[in-house]
Amino acid sequence: MALLEITGLAKQFGPVVALDGVSLTVEAGEVHCLLGENGAGKSTLCNLIFGVHRPDAGAMAFAGRPFAPAGPADALRLGIAMVHQHFSLVPNMTVAENLMLGRADAVLRLGDALAGLERLAGEYGLRVDPHRVIEDLSVGERQRVEIIKCLLGNPRLLVLDEPTAVLQHEEIDALLGICRRLAENGKAVILVTHKLAEIAKVAARTTVLRQGRVVETVSMAGADMRALVRSMVGRDVKSADAVLAATIGIEGDGGAAGTAPAAGKPVNGRASPAQDTRVPALTIEGLTYRDADGVARLDAVSLVVKPGEIVGVAGVEGNGQTELGSILAGLTGPTSGSIAIGGKALAGATPREITAAGAGIVPEDRHAVAMVPDLSIAENLFLGMLSRFSRFGLLDRGRMSASAAELMREFDVRAPGPDLPMSSLSGGNQQKAVLARELSLPNMVFLLAAQPTRGLDVGAVEAVYGRIRSARERGLGVLLISSELDELIAVSDRIVVMYRGKVVGQMTSDPANKEAIGAMMSGHGHV
Amino acid sequence: MGRTVGSKLGPLRAYLPLQIVVPVLATVAAIAVGLVIIASTGTPLEDALSAFWDGMAGDIFNIGASINRAISLGLVGLGFIFANRANLTNVGGEGQMAVGGMFATAMALHGAAGLPFGLAYLVPLAVGALAGAVWGGFAGVLKARRDTNEVISTLLLTFIALPLVYWSVQSFNLLRKPMSDVSSLPESPEIPDTTKLPLLLPEDQTSPLHVGLPLAILAVIVVALILQKSAFGLKLRAVGLNSIAARRAGIRSGSLIIVALAVSGALGGLAGAIMILGQQYYLTSSFSSGYGFDGLVVGLLSRGSAVGVVVGALLFGFLRSGSINMEISAHVPAAVVLICQGLIVIAIAASAILIDRRARR
Amino acid sequence: MTEDQLAVFLASSLRLAMPIIFASMGELLSERAGVLNLSLDGIMLMAAFGAALASWATGDAWFGLLAAVVIGLVIGVVQAVLSVNLRANQLVVGIGFNILALGATTFLYREIFGPLSRDTIPGFARLEFGWLASIPVIGPALSQQTGLAYLGLLLVIVTWALLKYTSFGLAVRAVGEDPRAADQAGISVARTRYLGVLYAAVLAALGGAFMSIADSNTFTEDMTKGAGYLAITAVIFGGWDPWRTLAACLLFGFATALQFLVPAMNLDIPVAVLLMLPYLLALFAIAGFVGKTRQPAALTLPFERGG
Repeated sequence: MALLEITGLAKQFGPVVALDGVSLTVEAGEVHCLLGENGAGKSTLCNLIFGVHRPDAGAMAFAGRPFAPAGPADALRLGIAMVHQHFSLVPNMTVAENLMLGRADAVLRLGDALAGLERLAGEYGLRVDPHRVIEDLSVGERQRVEIIKCLLGNPRLLVLDEPTAVLQHEEIDALLGICRRLAENGKAVILVTHKLAEIAKVAARTTVLRQGRVVETVSMAGADMRALVRSMVGRDVKSADAVLAATIGIEGDGGAAGTAPAAGKPVNGRASPAQDTRVPALTIEGLTYRDADGVARLDAVSLVVKPGEIVGVAGVEGNGQTELGSILAGLTGPTSGSIAIGGKALAGATPREITAAGAGIVPEDRHAVAMVPDLSIAENLFLGMLSRFSRFGLLDRGRMSASAAELMREFDVRAPGPDLPMSSLSGGNQQKAVLARELSLPNMVFLLAAQPTRGLDVGAVEAVYGRIRSARERGLGVLLISSELDELIAVSDRIVVMYRGKVVGQMTSDPANKEAIGAMMSGHGHV
Repeated sequence: MGRTVGSKLGPLRAYLPLQIVVPVLATVAAIAVGLVIIASTGTPLEDALSAFWDGMAGDIFNIGASINRAISLGLVGLGFIFANRANLTNVGGEGQMAVGGMFATAMALHGAAGLPFGLAYLVPLAVGALAGAVWGGFAGVLKARRDTNEVISTLLLTFIALPLVYWSVQSFNLLRKPMSDVSSLPESPEIPDTTKLPLLLPEDQTSPLHVGLPLAILAVIVVALILQKSAFGLKLRAVGLNSIAARRAGIRSGSLIIVALAVSGALGGLAGAIMILGQQYYLTSSFSSGYGFDGLVVGLLSRGSAVGVVVGALLFGFLRSGSINMEISAHVPAAVVLICQGLIVIAIAASAILIDRRARR
Repeated sequence: MTEDQLAVFLASSLRLAMPIIFASMGELLSERAGVLNLSLDGIMLMAAFGAALASWATGDAWFGLLAAVVIGLVIGVVQAVLSVNLRANQLVVGIGFNILALGATTFLYREIFGPLSRDTIPGFARLEFGWLASIPVIGPALSQQTGLAYLGLLLVIVTWALLKYTSFGLAVRAVGEDPRAADQAGISVARTRYLGVLYAAVLAALGGAFMSIADSNTFTEDMTKGAGYLAITAVIFGGWDPWRTLAACLLFGFATALQFLVPAMNLDIPVAVLLMLPYLLALFAIAGFVGKTRQPAALTLPFERGG
């Protein structure tokens, strides 16, 4: 008998169908992977199992009994634990306090929590200082606390929603090891991911989701990885889709990733550094940023982006890329160092000054930084240049909408009209709108694209790459920050690697350099 | 998961009725409760109601007095929705009124009286507005520079302003009138005639309507234009909805927050100045007596619409006038109207989720 | 100032601080759970009136206290439904309740007692602890209080212990800081906030009852005179910490008592300065000029799962 049995589960958010008749079973003692593109419904499925949302239709049974959780509390009571994509720890509490949260005792039992921690440290090698405050922990440590919190409750089913996205290589391996161990102990694990390599390492079975439906459930013994990819994206991955194949992590599969020799790359050697006298698009020298606690998040970073060049910034997330992006966007002031865009000194400049210098910024966190979701598309496109559409301070909405419609056509932003709220667009169209705005500034010399394809579907990813490449053709210098190494290899001309706030190395974006870059990213740098 | 395609602009028309229906229903229900309470006191309903009606709108004088009340309430309400457009909640209207009234009085007593061309009253009004702007703007500075929650700071600033007014009428060194008579109440001397707001209908001495009315109408139009049609209004919205994205788009969100709260405070200060210059003519320690809080409620209930502010201000203005007369002529405590007001506020707050949910569909 | 005067001053300071100690301890817990009760003043006023009425009608102050608690519970439930289930704006609801409370108590007071009633209302007697009274200076202040005052001080300890040592307290802090995380740890956000609001409402009601049946033994219109706002101010100045909030309440009590002392002692301090002092201090505190104060992150924000 299956531990968890799901039949015909459906869920709709407004007009968006997230899940459409999903059925699957999870056995005790297996690691069951959920594979799918962004928006395929993986997270929704997890949230239904954990009781965060309630299904519109369908039924679940857990350990042979009907199961309809009204909230996470119900799921936890039955022995279902979940690690969310976004952390669910209270940031200003200690590790121990977070571990005690939601336990049934009337009085807090610190001793019990510490003993449990000790036990898990022995059993799974999960170590963390119980007295530290969550907000002081690194991303990896927080993830560990999340997992410890789940395991302390001794669950029968553990749901992990994209837990590896924020982890470094060794941490990922450790996590996958824990998954295997749990399965050996007779527990069931649901692991959500879109990385095939991880699936190959741990899964007993994999269920592929696409557009809210189950495409297939396959046993991993002797499974064909190519077939899985085909199920996931709904078509054959041709060699031209090098980027796609790369982002889903078909490692070492020469047929998919290797044969696309970086389409559209400029002829190398047309300008060797020594004789290039043009003003660089971006020059950063000795850029250092210390956070409120005095920790150097960026440590004397220097780099140059020339006109007509795409420079990729590789690195495991949390090694200073976010801070670099935030400083270049003018949202964070650097502690020291200099920045020049098109030769204009801009360290500590306001976003307005940076825009005026000809820098387009596609920030990492689209929802929080690049757009105001509740404003219309037109308003979002022209928020920074309202004076162009106003007379005596009053806006000419008609003219604004017309210009917006034009820009949307040019950049292929698909929406019924420019006056709809930005939030009504799909992620891909939102990103295209952001690109439309940031690439239509006057006198452009530079574009920052930070994690520009995160969360986008395949079509949109290609459109974004197209825009970045055509920016280069226009002569702009582009800085591409990404945590997907394969994406960087496919798009950039050269790659700098960041580790712990420093630039630790530089390489050409030759697929052959992948191993070496990966080593530098994890701190085993040989430059 | 991406957000749904529930457009916020499309169904605007569909939920507008609910926005009107709910407050009307709440008001009707609250008035019904009020009638039951009045009936329970043994006062014949007819007497109470006719007294109420007389006080509200029985004659030209009472209509004028009600509208004058509505002016102050409406200005505070306008100030509230102005700041609220940037997602700022200014609950300090009472304090901004207090400092506005206080400084307007000081200006009227010391310096403005001899000015020509109506400046005798315009300058004190401006000074009152300026004082309110400083009071509100200070909360804005704290918010922009030190990330201080403006709800808390404007509330605290109110309870700092009220003792200041008390102080100013207690101290002979400040605004208290000299100890000349047998009894000297803790209040300022009467302001000079030239500084009093001219009546709108001077030949007809029965209406107390004064030039505050056209000023207030002008304020409504200007605020509505700014919020609905201007680039500045859009920037306020952007900062309120997502201040980081607004900054990234080149908007100076810090200064905008300060300006928003300063304008909000200026409207409150103007309301206080108009109360003194148009009606009361001398400063007492409790001259604002809850108008600021009522004005805040007017702003809250209008749900961001300038027209809503006008309607709410008139409703509360007329209710207040009616209740005062009901107490005097029919001996029904004016507190009954407070009960109704409280119920209206709670009912509308409770139904906000209904309106919003409909709006989201 | 003589030692006697000082003793009287301290005793009256404590008496004046008592209602806000009650109210602020309740409010502290509720705010830690993320709910701001601007209605504190209204609850205190209604409870003060209810306690006076019940005590007057039955001749027994205990019934007065019971009435206050019942009133607190009723308002608390209504307010919890509004701010937790209906996710109504907590500020609007609070202001609405305050208007309603002022109207209702004024109306009922005039209808029932008549505007000129001077009937005394049975109140709690002061307890006399000889041994406590013998402590110099602070002895009289501590000993000549009603039982309710000791309950108030006990509630400070209770509030502190709840927050620090119980799972409920941990849940309260989590819900006020990060309700989503709390929800996913299996805590009922709604239940925790309900209890927080009820705790605040009942304690505020006790504070109101203290005013009418333990301190002055009378009811006057609008007798709280903003004590509820002062209690909220004390929580802010106290940085959401029970002991610092207690200290803030005592400080505010001193400032109030000093107002009555100023004329008697011919001190040259404007009363207005004493009136505004608590708010001024709180403003400094919240603006970050005095120590590090941070409000609970989810204060006044309604929670909706998956929202």
